[in-house]
Parts: sequence; C-alpha cells; structure tokens
Amino acid sequence: MTQDLYDVAIIGCGPAGLQAAIHAASKKAKVIVFGKPTKSSLYKAHIANFCCYEKPISGKDILEAGRKQAESFDAVFLEEDIVKTKKENNLFSLVTESGETFTSRSLLLCMGIARKKLRVKGEKKFEGRGVSYCVDCDANFYKGLDVAVVGNESAAATGALTLLLYAKTVYLICRKLMISDMLYEELKNSQVKIIQDTWVKEIFGTNEVEGILLKNDNTLKVNGIFVELGAKGAMELAANLGVAFDPETFSHVETNRKQETNIPGLYAAGDITGQPWQIAKAVGEGCIAGIEAAEYAKKLANR
Amino acid sequence: MTQGVLDVDDTNFESQILKADKPALVDFWAPWCGPCKAIAPVITELEKAYGDRIIFARCNVDTSPNTPTQYSIRAIPTLILFQNGKVVDQIVGAVPKSHLEEAVKKIL
Repeated sequence: MTQDLYDVAIIGCGPAGLQAAIHAASKKAKVIVFGKPTKSSLYKAHIANFCCYEKPISGKDILEAGRKQAESFDAVFLEEDIVKTKKENNLFSLVTESGETFTSRSLLLCMGIARKKLRVKGEKKFEGRGVSYCVDCDANFYKGLDVAVVGNESAAATGALTLLLYAKTVYLICRKLMISDMLYEELKNSQVKIIQDTWVKEIFGTNEVEGILLKNDNTLKVNGIFVELGAKGAMELAANLGVAFDPETFSHVETNRKQETNIPGLYAAGDITGQPWQIAKAVGEGCIAGIEAAEYAKKLANR
Repeated sequence: MTQGVLDVDDTNFESQILKADKPALVDFWAPWCGPCKAIAPVITELEKAYGDRIIFARCNVDTSPNTPTQYSIRAIPTLILFQNGKVVDQIVGAVPKSHLEEAVKKIL
C-alpha cells in the first residue's frame, strides 16, 4: 500500500524528532513522525537541567506536550517502528513494522542510540561463531539450521520472519512482545516458535554456538542466536543508504552544522549524532534539522 | 599511489591472497549488509596508508560462498588477516578504526 508523498519523514519521537516536527510543520511542510514515545530514553527520566524549567519535569509529560504541539501544526504521528529504508529517484521510502510503505522527500534520523548486546555468558566468546547482531547480514549463513532470535520488539519479530526464509527452525525468545497488531498476527500465523515470558541466560558451545540456556532453565539446541533488541537503529536502517558513521564507534552518524549527513536530504539530530546525550542538545539539533529538511523538501518539490 | 582495494572471489582467492608475496587483509562483505557499508570507508583509508606493504581485498560472500565457508564465517563483516597463506587474525563486526589499524600494524 502506498501513501501520500511527505516532505519530511522523521524516525523517532524523542525531543529531537519532536522539535524537528514542530519546526518543519510550522514551515508548512507535510510531516510524518514514526516511533514509540515509550522507547525514548526521556520517557522514564526526570529532567532538572533543561533551561527555563526550574522544577524537575517528567520526561513523559514533555514528550506528550511536544507531540500535541507538533500535531497542532498538522504533523502526523504513527506509533510504529520503521524496519526498512530506501532511496530512489531522490525520494526516501520507508516500510513500517506493519508493512506499510511511506514516501518522503527528506528523512530525519532521530531514533537515538540503543543497547545492542545481551551481556550474558558466552555472548562475546561466540560473536561471529553463532552470535549475530544483524539478521539482514547473516541470515544466509544459517540455511537449513536451527536459530533463535532474542528481543521483544519489531527488530526481533521482523528478524524472526526473515530467518524463516533460510533456517529450518526459528525460535523467538522474548519477555513480552511489544509490536504492532498486524505484525503480531503475521508472526502468530507463521512457523516462528514463540517462547514468551523468559530470556536468555547463557550461550554455550565448544567452537561454535550449540545452544542456549533460558532463564526458565530450559535449554534450546540452536546453531545460531540473533540478538535483536529494540527497534532497528541507524546502522541497520541508514547504513544501506550509504550514510557515514564516526569511524571509532560506528554508533554516531556524522553531521555538519546544518545537521546534514553525507546523503542529500538525509539529516540526523539528537543522541544519534553523539554526546552529550542531553535534551537541550537534542532539541537544538532537532530545530535546525527540521528547518533545513523542510527547506530542502521545498526546493526539491519546485525543481 | 597504492592500487586500491582489490576484489577477490572463489576462483582467484588462492592465487591473489593465499599465495601472495605480501600479507593480506580480506573484508568479507555483502551488498545487503549495513555494517559492511559502514566500515568500507575505513578499509579504503587503511589501504591508502598501508596498501604498499599489505594487500587489501574484499570478497563478496553472496557471489563467492565457498571461501567464507572454508573459514567458518557466520557473520559479516568479517575481516581476516593472512600471512603466508595462513590466518593470523580474524575480526568480526564493525570495529573501531584504531583497533583495525593495530591489527594491520602487527602484520607489517
């Protein structure tokens, strides 16, 4: 299903994404924001160092107010993760976890940074020998084998579905799934074996992964385990667009003072561009990115 | 001027890498792999700095499946450093440039 063409698409609805949405939408750009506010690192935080707020304020309140403010300028919000991005003929196309496709003239990466490792025994030892952090990269190495995916969100669920095309058996290990209803239906009707209410305790093997021990003390014999925590991040979503990362950690997208990345029409703001991880920096960068992206989209539309 | 990052495949891996008169770093990658794209510029930079003494090559695991199987590669990007036809180091994932540079200096 293809939707209307947007001027500015924003992945992430934390402070950077919200401020960008407010500025872009107030410039009359057609704006859509993807993501789940509960996933912002701000959601559970209390802020005591944000200018003009003397008393500590709740992150949840800020996020809700920001969304209302952006909506008052006609920005559209969709509480879904993006699982795929592409750039074709100067337009970005984005696929949501429910499988809908959206098209936009510009794209803002405001999804922050997330923890990717499980931090369990055996994880480091077997990295590259059965432990993988990228289904899209490594699924092909598990043809006809048994694999487990661990994670509660869209990256794990879509990863498990992708692995079905290669592996013999696919387990999805999760505490509790937090995905869209449509994705849940797809998963439920698939061959993925969902193991809920537990987590991985240990990864074992000799030279390669041979199995995993779960918190509920069951063991699973698998050849591989894919760690897919949270939603897909910049590495999974934007690296395919050719975006440049900082060469030391590969976790930060490099931007200039206009919040432009090396890809025309692609901007980044907030924690994803590097430290300090502060709301003040996020809204500052979001403001610039929103204005710049709206102007870029306008120029592109008038070409 | 160095020769740039060399493309190798299943057919010429032995002659170009294993039987080469210089040590080699091979980047096992695929077009659909985001982290592979992210580290590619780092490999190019290292090639410019050390390409006169070490062969820098890349092997597409999609079109050359035999070589990665031979080295039990289960994740990409994987970087393998060869010296006299033998594996001297194997690095998995997008690791920092400084880490890669150290590994390269060891085989100079």
